[in-house]
Amino acid sequence: MGKKKYNQNTDIDEINGRKTVIEPNGKNFQYWKDIWRYRELAFNLAKRDITVRYKQTVIGMGWSIISPVINMLIMSFIFGSVANLESDGSAPYSVMVYAGIIPWTLFSRNLSITSTTFLSSAALMKKVYFPRIISPLGASFAALIDSAISFAVLLLIILISFFLNGFTPCWRILLVPVFLLMPIVLGFSVGLFLSPLNIRFRDLNQAIPFLLQIGQYVTPVAYSFAVACAAVPQKIRFVYELNPVAGAINAVRWCIIPDNAFHWPSFISSLVFIAVFIPVGIKAFRKGERTFVDLV
Amino acid sequence: MAEKTVDNRPVILKVENVGKKYVIRNMRTMPQNLTKGQMLRYKLKKYEKNDFWALKDISFEVRKGDRLAIVGRNGAGKSTLLKLISRITEPTEGRIEYYGRVAAMLEVGTGFNQELTGRENVYLNGAILGMSKEEIDKRFDGIVEFSEIGEFIDTPVKRYSSGMMVRLAFAVASTMDPDILIVDEVLSVGDMKFRDKCLRRMNEIATSGKTILCVSHVMGIVRGLCNRAIVLERGKMIYNGEVEHAIKLYNGIAEEARNTSRDLFDLPRPKYLNEKIRMMHVDIIENSTCIYKWNEPIRFLLRVEAKAEAKDVSLRAVFRCDSGTPASVAFLPLHADFKAGETKTIYVSVNQHNLAPGDYKVGLDLTQENPYDIFNNVDSITPEAFFITVKNLGSQDHEIEDDSARLWSNAWGNSRIMDVTGEVRDSE
Repeated sequence: MGKKKYNQNTDIDEINGRKTVIEPNGKNFQYWKDIWRYRELAFNLAKRDITVRYKQTVIGMGWSIISPVINMLIMSFIFGSVANLESDGSAPYSVMVYAGIIPWTLFSRNLSITSTTFLSSAALMKKVYFPRIISPLGASFAALIDSAISFAVLLLIILISFFLNGFTPCWRILLVPVFLLMPIVLGFSVGLFLSPLNIRFRDLNQAIPFLLQIGQYVTPVAYSFAVACAAVPQKIRFVYELNPVAGAINAVRWCIIPDNAFHWPSFISSLVFIAVFIPVGIKAFRKGERTFVDLV
Repeated sequence: MAEKTVDNRPVILKVENVGKKYVIRNMRTMPQNLTKGQMLRYKLKKYEKNDFWALKDISFEVRKGDRLAIVGRNGAGKSTLLKLISRITEPTEGRIEYYGRVAAMLEVGTGFNQELTGRENVYLNGAILGMSKEEIDKRFDGIVEFSEIGEFIDTPVKRYSSGMMVRLAFAVASTMDPDILIVDEVLSVGDMKFRDKCLRRMNEIATSGKTILCVSHVMGIVRGLCNRAIVLERGKMIYNGEVEHAIKLYNGIAEEARNTSRDLFDLPRPKYLNEKIRMMHVDIIENSTCIYKWNEPIRFLLRVEAKAEAKDVSLRAVFRCDSGTPASVAFLPLHADFKAGETKTIYVSVNQHNLAPGDYKVGLDLTQENPYDIFNNVDSITPEAFFITVKNLGSQDHEIEDDSARLWSNAWGNSRIMDVTGEVRDSE
C-alpha cells in the first residue's frame, strides 16, 4: 500500500454524487430539489389511494359520481324546492348547487388531507425519508381525480338542463379548471398551516371535520351568494363577503352562469388568503416535519 | 493509527459531534396531604419535562467501501443514529455530511399495502424507497425470482403468508442501488433458507464495494458482514475500531470488565427452581485474568449453601460462545449430600477443555438425579456465572505439535477434536 496523499477534490468526483449536509434546525437547502426527485412517489401514493379505495367494491369509481350527485339532489330539493330560494340568474338550482359542491369539496378535502397528513402517514414517515410534503401532495392528486370526474358529471347535468330548461352555459366554462385551483391551493395551504398543530393538539383531529361541516352551511354551497348576502344584516355583510371559499365558489359559478356578475371583494379576499397562507403554511409545515417523528 | 498505512479511500460519511435530545414529559405523581392551592398548582402543571440525550457527542468517519457495524444494547441509541443519518429526524446538535444516495432498510415492508397486489406493492415500495419506475421495471423479474413469489405476484398481499410478504419486501429493498446502505436488524426475516439467501445477498452487496452501516444483535452477522464497528452505550460512543474488540465490549467481557471473584447468590434464576440449594460465590483460582492458554486448566472454587436437605447433588458447567450457542459441557458427578443450613465449597478443575480460541460464558447448574435417571436442575445460572477467554495459539504453546491451528478461524467451530491420526498411503 503506497502512502498516497489524501486529495479531497478527486474523492468527490470518484463518488460521483452530490453532497448532503444534515444540521439542526432544518438548514437543508436541497428541499425543493428533493421534492422534484420524489415526484414519482406522489403519483404512486395517489395511485395507491385510488386503487385501495375502490378495491372490492362493485361500483368502484362510480362512488365518486354518486356521492356528489346525491348531495346535490338533496340540497336542491331542500333549498330550491322546499325553501324555494332563488337560484343564480338563469341557471337551474341543481346546476348552481353542483357548481358549488365541486370547489367546496376540493377545499375541504385538501384541508383535511393535509392537516392530518402527519398522523395518517406516520408509519411510513417514521421509517423512510422523503420530503414530507409529498404525502399530502399525493393524497391531493387523488382528490383531484375525483373532482375531475365530478366536473364531467357537471357537464352532463348542464347538458340535461339545456334540454329540459333551455339553460345555455357561458363560454367562460373553459376557465373553470383555472379557478378550481383556488380552493385546492387554499385548502392545501391552510391544511399545511394546521398540520403541525395537529401533532400536539389532537383535538384538531376532532374539530376540523366538525368545523368543515359548519363551513359548508355558512359558505354559499347550497344556496346562491346573493341570497345569503341579502339575509345577512347590512352592518356585518362585509365580513360575510370576505369568506375566501365563497370567493372561489363565486368565481366558478361566474364561469358557468352567463348572467352572473363577478364578485370582486370575495375573490380578492380569496387571493389574499392564498398569498398569506402559502408561505405561512409551508413554513409551519417545514418546521413541523423536522421533529414530528419525535412527537407522534 | 499513525503506524498504519494511510487509508486513501475517500470519506463518504462524516458524523461530527452529533447529539439528539428528546424532551420527555412525565405525568407528575401528586403527593398526598396538599393544601388546596398546592393541589391546583399540580393540576395546572400536570407534566414535568425532562431532557433526555439519546445520543451525545458522536463523531466518526466512514470511508467508501467500509462496512460499519453499530453495536450496543437496547436503548444505546443505535436506531436513533440511523434515523439521523437517514434523515427521518434531525439532530439537536452537530453535523452529518455524506456524498451520494443513502438508502435505509429500517424495516422490511414499509408502506406495503394489504389491499394491493404483489406487483402493485413492488412499484409502490420501490417508489417509497426512492427508485424510479424505470429502475423497478429493470429489476422487476429479479425481484420476483429472488422472492420466490412466482404466480402469486398478482394476488393481493393480504392473501400472502407472512413469510411471502417479508420475502417480497426484502427482495425490493435489497435491489436498491445506493452509495450508502443502512440496514437495521432486517436480516432476521423469513425461514432459515431465506435468511441464508438474504445474508448471501448482503454479502454480495458488501463485497461489491458498497458502503454499509449495519445494526444487528446477531454477532455472527456483524462478524461476517462488517470490517469496522462502533460501540454505543447509553448514547455515547465508547469504541470505534475493530469488529472483534467491539463484540467483546458488547458482550461485556472486555479485559477490564472481567473479574475472578463473583457473587452468584443475587443473579437471576429460572422461576421453576425451588431454591432449596443455592450457588453463592465463585472464585477463579490460579489465574488472575480469566485468559487461558490453549488447554490450560480452568480451576475455580464454588461456594454452595443449602437451605433444606439436598442429596446426590452434582455439577454441570456449560461453555457458551458469545452468540449464546453452547460450545461444550463439563460434568462433575459429585453426588454430594447437603444438610439443611450447611455451606460447602466445591473445587473444580477442568483439566483439558479443547476449546478453540475465543470468548466463552460459563454457566453453572447444580443437578440432582431423580429416580428416572434424569438430571433435574436444582440451581442454575444461565448464561454465565463467569467469563473466560481462550487465547489464540501462540508460538509459546509447546503442547501443540502442529502449526495448522495457530491462528484460529471462527468458521472452524468452537472446540477442537484432539485425538486424530492418519497417514499417507500409496494407492494400490
